[in-house]
Amino acid sequence: MSLGEKLMSIPKWVLYLILIVVASVPLFIKIPVPNTPLEPAIDLYGTLMNIPEGSTVLIASDWTKSTRGESNGHFDALMKILMRKKIKACIYSSGDPQAPQVARDAIGVLNMERKAKGLPPYQRWNDWITVGYFPNAEACANAIANNVRVAFGGKTDYTPEGTSRDVFQSPVLKDIRKVSDFKLMMVITASKTSNITIERVYGKGVDLAMMVTGVMGPESLPYYSSGQLKGLAVGLKGVYDLEQMLESGITPGMSAKWGTVPGFPGDSNIGNGTRYYPTLHFCLTLLILAVIVGNVGMALSRKKAA
Amino acid sequence: MSQLFLQAQPQLNFWNGLNGTTGLWIKILIGLALGVGLIFALMSAPTQTRRPIVAFVTFISGLFYVLYFFFPRPIDRQPGELPLDFVESVSFYIDDAFGVVTDFTAILSGLLLGLGIYSLLHVHVKRIIKAHQNWFFSVVLLVSMFMMTIVGYWDWITRRGEAGASLDDPANWSAINYTKDLMFDGLLQAMDAAMFSIIAFYILSAAYRAFRVRSVEATILLATALIVILSLMGAVEFLWNGMIDGMTGKDPGSVVNNLKLTEISKWLRDTVQGAAIRGIDFGVGIGALAMGLRLWLSLERGTGGGN
Repeated sequence: MSLGEKLMSIPKWVLYLILIVVASVPLFIKIPVPNTPLEPAIDLYGTLMNIPEGSTVLIASDWTKSTRGESNGHFDALMKILMRKKIKACIYSSGDPQAPQVARDAIGVLNMERKAKGLPPYQRWNDWITVGYFPNAEACANAIANNVRVAFGGKTDYTPEGTSRDVFQSPVLKDIRKVSDFKLMMVITASKTSNITIERVYGKGVDLAMMVTGVMGPESLPYYSSGQLKGLAVGLKGVYDLEQMLESGITPGMSAKWGTVPGFPGDSNIGNGTRYYPTLHFCLTLLILAVIVGNVGMALSRKKAA
Repeated sequence: MSQLFLQAQPQLNFWNGLNGTTGLWIKILIGLALGVGLIFALMSAPTQTRRPIVAFVTFISGLFYVLYFFFPRPIDRQPGELPLDFVESVSFYIDDAFGVVTDFTAILSGLLLGLGIYSLLHVHVKRIIKAHQNWFFSVVLLVSMFMMTIVGYWDWITRRGEAGASLDDPANWSAINYTKDLMFDGLLQAMDAAMFSIIAFYILSAAYRAFRVRSVEATILLATALIVILSLMGAVEFLWNGMIDGMTGKDPGSVVNNLKLTEISKWLRDTVQGAAIRGIDFGVGIGALAMGLRLWLSLERGTGGGN
């Protein structure tokens, strides 16, 4: 067997073993990676940081743990900003029936972090509410755009005293009459709900921003380029961008549009982005190497055959 | 009819009820029984009778959304405001009906979950009874489904009422809350993540075996992908852009800045990828419109019309 043929016939199990090692090793070593946040992520951070304290944002939480590396990082970064800036959140899901529970669990973890630091919890009912899962994303987005009071009508959540009450009696939604009363509508998704939301809700007077997985990134970028999205975080790189800005903010020279926007230096800003970004580097390097090895093998084999 | 739609708005009336009350449960059960009865009645009806009914309902359902999107909408409508003319009457009517139609859509989608469970039970119970090959996996599937349902509802019940608020803190959890957490977060979600992570192995294998420079098009694709991949790697980007900065002396006006990895990938994303995605979306949109029309007018085979 020639070298070319050998390079073209590496057994699958060898490739898989290398991938396991390459993906696992960086998780145990702290590797600082330099990074320049991308413009869509800078715009997202700037938009979030400019929301006035006490106002309410609407969050479509359409992710589960299948995309935890990216979506959980997005969600955590978003919630950290909302919690620290005392912004209220109304959460709904239309992409996956598991999503509301996953969002509640993620907020629970963040609240435990706050408790450990002696900070008051981000309290359900007073600071955030969940209106649950809607089984048809198109109909749900249409309903929200048409009349949010009807869309979430009849939904209840629990007060800190354990009483079930209409969500529109909560401090989160009491001043909300229509979708444009939300200061921002945020979609965190690993699916087509991002496109559906833009198609149905854009133009109804509420600013839209999104946090999507790497797979959904290319589909979402045209909406950012057209100005329909105020900000966009894509994939793990988007998580790392946000975590970096949570730590150091938008610094002079990063964005002419935003100038300087403060961060939260020294706070617990590290999350999935910082933890997994070195792994992404190693895996992408392996991917490039695999393509090179395969092509070199093919070239050598062709040369020999000729 | 308008009164019926107004009644279906969130205020308490005959058509709804307070969350968790017996009255609401009875209404849900009656509605469910009527819905299931209607489905079975339609299923048992002769095809010649069923087809026009399905086609008529499909047309009316579609017509509502066509009118919703194309008919003039009421602007700044105030509560209790009366329509001035026929056009405004229709627009008010559509506006009032929208919430009801949306609820119907959500309920129908919810029924599909029930249909899925029925189908799952039908297939797997049959496999177990007839002892088909690998019938044991069907047992595992059904046991897992019922366990998750029972534990999930049990946990949900404990979280209702005054004690529920304290359960946001895991320190106050009882055995059932831990069991549900183990099953949902510890098993289901972990397996979900594991299933998704398997894609990494396929991607690597495919990149090694299939991503070959066999033509000019493939070479362009490979080069473009390489640039985008490298732009996602902060360390590479830092080194490359640093090198360009070294060449230009950090002069922001230098044309060489266009060779920065971030600039090239931005150009690729905004100009090439964005245009391609828009083109694809446009094509998909036209296809969906054509398909939608065929479905709406029951021209598609197997949708109540067609041959």
